[in-house]
Amino acid sequence: MNQDIFLVGSGLTRFGEWWDKSLKDLMDEAIKAALRSSGLSALEIDLVIVANMLAEVTNNQAGLGALASALLPHHPPAMRVEAACGSGALALHTACAFLESGRAKTVLVVGAEKMTDVSMDVISQALMGAADAELDAPSGLTFPGIFGLVAKRYMHEFGLTREELSIVSAVHHRNAAENPFAQFRTELSPEAVSESPLISDPLRLFDCSPVSDGAAACILSTSHKSPLRIVASQIASDTLSIAERPTIVSFPATREAMNRALLEADVERRDVRVVETHDCFSIAAVINMEDLGFAREGEGIKLYEDLYEGRASLFVNMGGGLKACGHPVAATGLKQLIDVGKHLSRASLPYGLAHNFGGAGATCGIHIVQNANV
Amino acid sequence: MNHSAPIIHRALGREREKFLPGVVVSFTTLVHPPARFGHRPRTIGLIELTNGRRVLGPLLAENPSIGESVRPRMRLSHITHEGLRVYEVAFEACTKKDVPLPEFPGYILALTGPSGVGKSTVSRMLTRVCSEYTANVPILTTREAKSGDDGEYVYTTPEKFERMKKAGSIVAATRIPSSSENRQYGYQSTDIESIWREGKLPVVVTEIHLLKDLAEHYGRSSILSFGLLPPGDTKRAKLSQLLHRLRSRGRESEESIRDRLKNAERDLAIFRERKDLFDHIVVNEDLHSMVASLKEKVLGLFPALKA
Repeated sequence: MNQDIFLVGSGLTRFGEWWDKSLKDLMDEAIKAALRSSGLSALEIDLVIVANMLAEVTNNQAGLGALASALLPHHPPAMRVEAACGSGALALHTACAFLESGRAKTVLVVGAEKMTDVSMDVISQALMGAADAELDAPSGLTFPGIFGLVAKRYMHEFGLTREELSIVSAVHHRNAAENPFAQFRTELSPEAVSESPLISDPLRLFDCSPVSDGAAACILSTSHKSPLRIVASQIASDTLSIAERPTIVSFPATREAMNRALLEADVERRDVRVVETHDCFSIAAVINMEDLGFAREGEGIKLYEDLYEGRASLFVNMGGGLKACGHPVAATGLKQLIDVGKHLSRASLPYGLAHNFGGAGATCGIHIVQNANV
Repeated sequence: MNHSAPIIHRALGREREKFLPGVVVSFTTLVHPPARFGHRPRTIGLIELTNGRRVLGPLLAENPSIGESVRPRMRLSHITHEGLRVYEVAFEACTKKDVPLPEFPGYILALTGPSGVGKSTVSRMLTRVCSEYTANVPILTTREAKSGDDGEYVYTTPEKFERMKKAGSIVAATRIPSSSENRQYGYQSTDIESIWREGKLPVVVTEIHLLKDLAEHYGRSSILSFGLLPPGDTKRAKLSQLLHRLRSRGRESEESIRDRLKNAERDLAIFRERKDLFDHIVVNEDLHSMVASLKEKVLGLFPALKA
C-alpha cells in the first residue's frame, strides 16, 4: 500500500428480515454506528462510497451515492460501486485507491442491501444478474443451481460425501450463536443440514446462505489512526459464466487475489490466523480454503472437520459466515472486514483477511488487516 | 425477466450454436426452477461439446451421470406473455448406437452450398488435380438418372434406400423438397471408409442435413467443411448468379429450377445460422483459383493423413 490506511470506525445493523426498515434506514443505522465507534465528526468524511447490487430491482432505487451522502450534514462527494456479491470488497478497494492517491483522507464506505421486499422468484432472478445473462440464465439456472453443478463435480473429482459437506454449515451456525448481528443465532447439527429440503441436488436448504436485509459501514482514514491497518487490498477477475472456464472445482480469481495480497502485505500465509471467507454455499467455503492455500486441493473439508472438532489453529468465519450471519449481498464484504477486525482485537492476533467474491468467483476481493496491538 | 423479441431472437442464434453432441461435465436438479420454466424439477447440465466449448442446457436423461455422452435436441422452452415461442437446445442421453466413435476416424472434405454454386464441378476438378490424395464419394439417390449426370450418383429405389437407412449403412441422408418428385440422397459408410482404407481423403458434396449427419456420425472434428457461396454482394445478386448458372447448365426444366432457387435461399441462410458447421466460407468467383486453394489445403493436410 502506498499509504497507511486505518480502519477507524465500523458499524453494522443486525442482518435479517426488516419489514420496518427501508434501504435508506439500514444505511443510516450502519453509518451512525460507524461514526459513533470512530469518535469522528461526520464533517471529517471526505468521500462516501456505497456498495449495492440490487436496489433498482428490490427498491426501485438508483442514485445511491447521493442517497447515502444526504445522510451526512455536509453532503460529501459520493459514488456507488457494484461487483455483485463482491461489491463490498470492491468498495473497500476503491476507497483504498482514493486514500492512496491522496484524493481523500477519510472515506466512509457503506454496503447495504434490502432483499426481502420482493418475492423469492424475483430475488432469485435478480441474483442471477451475477452470472452471464446470455450464457447461463437462459438454461433456467439459478445461483443455487450454479453451486449445485460445482458441488456435483467436486464430489465426483474428490469423493466428498454429502455427510462431510454438512459439517460446514454446522461450524458457521455454532460461530453465529455468539454474534448479536447474526440473522440465525441457533446451532445446527450436521444431520439437520443433511435432512433439510433439497434445493439443487446435491445442495440442500441449509447449504445455502439466506436472503437478508442489512447494512455495514467502515470508516477508512490516512489522517486518523487506529490499531487496525489495511496492509493489502487486491481485486482479481474471472469470466462471469462458469461455462467459459476450464474447471469449476476451483476459483482462480481467489488464488490470484490471495497471491497478490500476500505479496502486497509482505506476510506469510501461516501468519494469517483469522479468515472471513465467502461461504455463499457450503461447497464454496470448502473450495475457498483450498484456493486461499489453507488446505490442499480436495482437502478443504478436512480443515472444516478440524474446525468442527476444535483442532484447527485457524479462526474461520467467527461471525457465522454468510450462511448463519446472513448475506445482504453488498454489505457482506464490509461486514467481513469488521468481523476480522473484531476477532483480531479479541484474540490478540496480528493478521486476518477478508475474502469476498461476486458471482461464482467472477470478482474476488481480498483485504488483509494488521493488528498493531500485537 | 423481461424477454423482448430482440433478446429472444439473439438467444435463438446462440442456441443454434449449441447444437452439437457432447459429454456431461456436471449436472444439478433444481427442485424449484424459475417460474417461467414451470413447477416441475428441472435438471440442468454443464456440457462439453465436441468442438471443445462448454454450454449449459436442460438435461433430459433420466439418471444422468458425469462423463455420459449426450446429443442435442431443439425443443420449445416456453411461450412468453406476448405469445412468442422460445426454443432451446436440450441434451438427451445417447443410446448405445449413437455414442460417437471413440477415435478420430479420419478427415472428410465436405463442400456445402446452394444448387448451382458449383459444388459438383469443384469436387470433380479437385479429385482430378489431386487424384492421388482425394476421391469422390458416390451419392446414393432415389431419383431417376438424367442425361447430364456424370457418374457421381448411384441409383436405388426409395424402398431400398429406407431399408439401408434403417440398417445403419447410410450414415447421412436428406430429402430434397421438390414439387414434382420425392428425392432422397445419402452417403454410405462403406464408400467413405473404403476411401480411407486407400489412404485417400473422401470428398462429399452436401447440404445442411447431410453435413449435420456426417458431423454427428464421424465427429465434427473429422469434417473439413467448406461453405461455397456464389459471387454477389446482396442476396438478390447471389440468387441471380445461381439462376444464371442453373439455366446455362441446361439440364433442368424451369419448374425444377424454381424449386432449386427456393431451397437455395434457405441454404444461404444456413451459413449464418450454423457457423459452427463450417471451417471456411469461400466465394466461388473463379473456378480455377478456388480449386487451387482447395488443393493447397488438401496437400497441407496430407503429411498428417499419411502419418
